Amino acid sequence: MNNLELWQAALGEIELSISKANFSTWFKNTTILSRENGKVIIGVPNGFAKEWLENKYNTYIFRALRNFQEDIREINCVIYNLDQAPHNNEAKQNDLTPQGGGIKSVENPYAYTPQSAVVAQATYVQKAYENNINHRYTFENFIIGENNELARAACYAVSQNLGKVYNPLFIYGGVGLGKTHLLQSIGNEVLENDPAKKIKYITSERFANELIDSIRNQTVNDFKSAYSAIDLLIIDDVQFLAGKEKTQIEFFHIFNTLYQINKQIVISSDRPPKAIATLEDRLRSRFEGGMIADIGQPDLETRMAILKTKAAEKNFYLDEEAIRFIAENVKNNIRELEGALNRIVAACEFNNKLPTLKFVQQALSEIISAGKKKGVQAQNIIDTVSQYFNIPIKELIEKGRKKEISYARQIAMYIMRTELNSSYPGIGSQFGGRDHTTAMHAYEKVSKDIEASEKVKEDVALITEKLYSV
Amino acid sequence: MKVTCTQENFKKAIYSTERVVGKQITLPILENILIETDNGMLKISATNLEIGVFLKIGAKIEQEGTITVPARLLSNFVNNFPASSTVSLTVIDQTLHIESGSSKAQIKGLMAHDFPIIPEIAGSFLFSLPAQEMKEAIPRLIACVSLDSTRPELTGLNVVLVKDEVRIAATDSFRLAESVVTLKKENQSVYDLFLEKTSSIIVPQNTFSEVFRVIGPDTQDIRIGIEESQIFFQIDNVRIVSRLINGRYPEYRQIIPQQFATKVVLEKNDVLRAVKIAGIFTNSKAGEIQFSVDCEQKVLKVQSKAEEVGENQTIISANIEGPEQSALFNPRYMVDGLQTITTPRLALLMNSNSSPAVLRMVQGENNEEISSFTYIIMPIKN
Repeated sequence: MNNLELWQAALGEIELSISKANFSTWFKNTTILSRENGKVIIGVPNGFAKEWLENKYNTYIFRALRNFQEDIREINCVIYNLDQAPHNNEAKQNDLTPQGGGIKSVENPYAYTPQSAVVAQATYVQKAYENNINHRYTFENFIIGENNELARAACYAVSQNLGKVYNPLFIYGGVGLGKTHLLQSIGNEVLENDPAKKIKYITSERFANELIDSIRNQTVNDFKSAYSAIDLLIIDDVQFLAGKEKTQIEFFHIFNTLYQINKQIVISSDRPPKAIATLEDRLRSRFEGGMIADIGQPDLETRMAILKTKAAEKNFYLDEEAIRFIAENVKNNIRELEGALNRIVAACEFNNKLPTLKFVQQALSEIISAGKKKGVQAQNIIDTVSQYFNIPIKELIEKGRKKEISYARQIAMYIMRTELNSSYPGIGSQFGGRDHTTAMHAYEKVSKDIEASEKVKEDVALITEKLYSV
Repeated sequence: MKVTCTQENFKKAIYSTERVVGKQITLPILENILIETDNGMLKISATNLEIGVFLKIGAKIEQEGTITVPARLLSNFVNNFPASSTVSLTVIDQTLHIESGSSKAQIKGLMAHDFPIIPEIAGSFLFSLPAQEMKEAIPRLIACVSLDSTRPELTGLNVVLVKDEVRIAATDSFRLAESVVTLKKENQSVYDLFLEKTSSIIVPQNTFSEVFRVIGPDTQDIRIGIEESQIFFQIDNVRIVSRLINGRYPEYRQIIPQQFATKVVLEKNDVLRAVKIAGIFTNSKAGEIQFSVDCEQKVLKVQSKAEEVGENQTIISANIEGPEQSALFNPRYMVDGLQTITTPRLALLMNSNSSPAVLRMVQGENNEEISSFTYIIMPIKN
């Protein structure tokens, strides 16, 4: 850690222990001027700050610095000129020194000695190992589209201002749409700004396993205290907590501890808190208390942008047509998109051919036809819808006009139309020989509702996903 | 706390400290005055984190204690005390009970331990300045201080220490005032050592205003110390500490001409009146008035002309040495300059219509210039 980082880290701690007004009054424009043999010289802008830091806040400063550098033994304050320190040149420092000349011997506060650089690097790597943050995922290489704008903006805001803007931040979206990427980006961004921050990225599954282990080894208290010292806790795929009651209770306590001391919590799930069955109410309401942002499916342009970036990462050239073809045919999920690209890269290398549109079509014919168009039939859709809404197939097909049933039926019709491109009379006949206008009405109604209602959109998305995951 | 002191002392203490207290939104305690018992004395402090003021007054202390109370409230109350000889202060549960003669008040206070610590001089004072001379000099200088915060170094007064005197200057780059005051060193070798490191500092204007306020009619000396970007004053029993302004003050001495071609000795009131009249016949702010020195008729003509208003001319008889001159000046700056003159006659020194003109006081039969104060005004070039 260099002096600047050390002071930033220490200020972060001090800020928590004193009031905001005091913090901004006394710590504004302070910096570490030098650090040698456990003796730290802090530069302060005026005599009042010097008196105050030396007499009232010395224990806070001492404690905070000791947290990061255990060998610190002595702290002194010196008044220094802000405009002199960072960018001073020799000439400016030598003439006219109204501060009484005591500072001249002090080294450049921003000097970054190679030694400290190595130390910082080492701790950084070690930290990354502990906090499960993967360096590959950053905000820079996250592609922004209409579908993920909000989520990305929320994540970025959180990374710049831990615990202050949106806490907790809840990100949800389907499989392979970039939740994990965003969560990891927060971690990386925070570490880049301040490597001293304590960050933990963990999937809810691993969280549960760790908890179970700690129960078995009777170290539950250690487990809890380890978590309450964290600055940023990222829990991925929180929906897996559903049904695990003891884990939920423990998580609830850790959540509360962190939340109360303004530590940032970021959670992801594949569906909104409301839709996670068997999630304790108190957890659900807490999740809903912060900011909820969703990641939708990427539109064509975004998919194309993603493909271009990924291809560039692999140093693989794909022409516009081929990219468009892939993006048009692989719609649901970014991971699949990447899979398709990998497949093409491999096929090209294997056959030693250029990825022309025709070659790409050939190479992907298997996935495209196998995935959606062929594998799913009208009956699958009816089955899935019936399972999803927990309504017997018979009722779906029969003439019942109860609201829940007709809603489910309309959704099923809509999905048949969009996914299978079935004709309206065809859809009608699947549902006990209904008129084609009924099917048309259902399609139009659901199309409209999807725009208006988050719930309808959610239902359709989840059913579609279920459909293809079988 | 249970304390009794004289009303006169208490009033003066509040008057001396209350004004530095600023409107502080971030730290409300800065709006308060700290009252505490200190070694058998009553200590009263106030600060806005730029300037700190404290003083100790004699008091009969029955019980030690501390409290901070809102400065404005306290001073408004104290200013309207009925005639009485003493004031008694008692602190009960963070409330100051204050009583003088027939008036009583209870003022809600804040805990004293959050009050900023006012830095005190660590070493010794460097030198002292004659208080009554400073009382005269400060208002003359302050008129010239710049209000333009884009050049922070000009918002203060430049204090240059030389061997046996200090030169205090203020400028807003259109005019400049300089006072030279003889100093008394506290310790010759310490002073010489200090001079090697630092000889020029910039003191905020407010600090000098505060010093000015505190100087009483009987004050003899102002003791001054400079340490670590701070300046410390002791004036009677009042201590003032202030930050210094960082930056480099312009080398103004180089622009003061060493020799003047023309010296015009005038009656102060005549010129002042002429300039004020001429000022009326100018375009509001950007106005200019013309000074013409006529050697043959031994007169100074002060003229102005504004297209839409009209024009005027005043002719003043003068004692002139040197060739004819003519120059344009800003009337406001000229009025400011003339008002700093406290003698009945003054000397106007000029070289040309583009070189700075100087106003100095004169005395005696031979119209000798008093060189301890100089007002320099830049002519308007056309």
